[in-house]
Order: sequence, then C-alpha cells, then structure tokens
Amino acid sequence: MGFFRRTRLFRPRGEDRFAVELAPEARAWLVNMADQLEELLLDDTDDTKRLFPTAYPNDPELDAGYQILARDQLIDSRRASIELLRSSAMLDVVSEEELVAWMGIVNDLRLVLGTRLDVSEDDHDLDVNDPELEARVAYHELGYILSEIVDALTTTLPPVDDADE
Amino acid sequence: MTAPLEVREPDLDADVDVDEDRPWVVVVWNDPINLMSYVAYVFRKLFGYSEAKANKLMLDVHHKGRASVSSGTRSEAERDVHRLHGHGLWATMEHDE
Repeated sequence: MGFFRRTRLFRPRGEDRFAVELAPEARAWLVNMADQLEELLLDDTDDTKRLFPTAYPNDPELDAGYQILARDQLIDSRRASIELLRSSAMLDVVSEEELVAWMGIVNDLRLVLGTRLDVSEDDHDLDVNDPELEARVAYHELGYILSEIVDALTTTLPPVDDADE
Repeated sequence: MTAPLEVREPDLDADVDVDEDRPWVVVVWNDPINLMSYVAYVFRKLFGYSEAKANKLMLDVHHKGRASVSSGTRSEAERDVHRLHGHGLWATMEHDE
C-alpha cells in the first residue's frame, strides 16, 4: 500500500482540530477495514480475544460478572467510534473526538490483525514470499497511522509535573 | 401465647468479604502489538500522569512484562481496567500482596 505518504499525517490546527493528510484511497481503505472490524465485533473467536480481555484471571466467577457488563459496553463504544470514523473519513480537518475515534479503531484493527498473524516484537521485516504479506503490510501501515495519530493527540495533553501527582 | 420473636445472631462472616479491605491493583501486561508511544499516551490520558511517569510505566511493561498502573477499591480498579480495555490494553486486576 504505497499510497501512504511518509509525512505528518495529522497536524494540530488550532484548538481541537487536526488537518488530515491522507490520500482518498487510504481513507477508503480505512473505512473498509473498519467495516470488517464491525462485522467481527460480535464474533467470539481467537482473532477478537484481545478486544475483550480478562479482568480477573484468577477468578472465573468474578470475571464472568465483569464480562457480562463490560463486553456489551466495549462493543457499543467501538461501534460508536466506527461510525465517527466513517462520518469523518473524507474530511480535510477533523475534531479531537473524531481523531480519538480513528485512533481507537486503528488500534483495534492492529490487535485483531496482530493476533491473527501471531506477531512478535521482532517482526520488523517483510518477506515477499510470505502468504500473509498483504495482512502484514496492512498491520505495518496501521502502525504508522497509529503512531502519527498518537503524536498529534499527545499535543492535546496538559503538561503535568511529577510533583503534582 | 405468641411465638417468641426469632432473633438471629448476625453472621459476621456471611456477607462481608474480608478481602474487600485489601486494595486491588490494576496491572498492564506486555504484548507484542501495542505501540510503546500509544501505551504511554493512554497512561497520560486516563490517569493524568506526567510524561516521565507514563514513560517509566510503559517501559516497565515493555521490559519487565507488567506494571502496576493504579490501585484502589474493587470498583475503582474495575473501572480503570474497563477504561484500559476500552483502549485496547491488556489489563487485569489483582489483590495487593
């Protein structure tokens, strides 16, 4: 997917606004990926297990109670983020709320793809003979987009001194 | 003659979870997927930590495999775990040892 330009993809523009430098093809690709994520949200498979982690690994009973409440909320919040991504995908300037939604969905997509590909921290090189090459390229491109979003959103965090905590 | 009113002795052990008095700790675990910059950003955003503290916790997760990021009552810890799950981080909660 060479249509991602290696430049700052998201630039702060005034308060609560971010200019988006993504090609239309890249935006359409993201929406398509988000559509696929939405279809996966109701699946209880190995691919989606990282979207719904265990809270109480040592207590199945407490965890079952947590999952009953948390799972639906996590699905609902992800659907809301997907909808925000869809509605803002083609905009030149997005709000902080919209960019936060993009970030969440891009990270969720990496969780699903990374789980499916069983990635390790040493997986940096791509092999053209890899039958999963397309998915691995997508995983890396999503990582690039995510790091760009994080860089942009970090500018919105208030400075905190250690002494203040 | 009416039957005497039944008086029940309070069962001090029945409804009180003595473990509730012990604080719960929220633990974030390392995984090969989440970006280091993203994890540090989430710690700053959710907990209001300084950049230095968030980076230290993130590096603990990366190098030591886990880091304790917050603590409190069970409901407080569960709320934090839920917020971390909402951001895709692998978080669990356990009693403070």
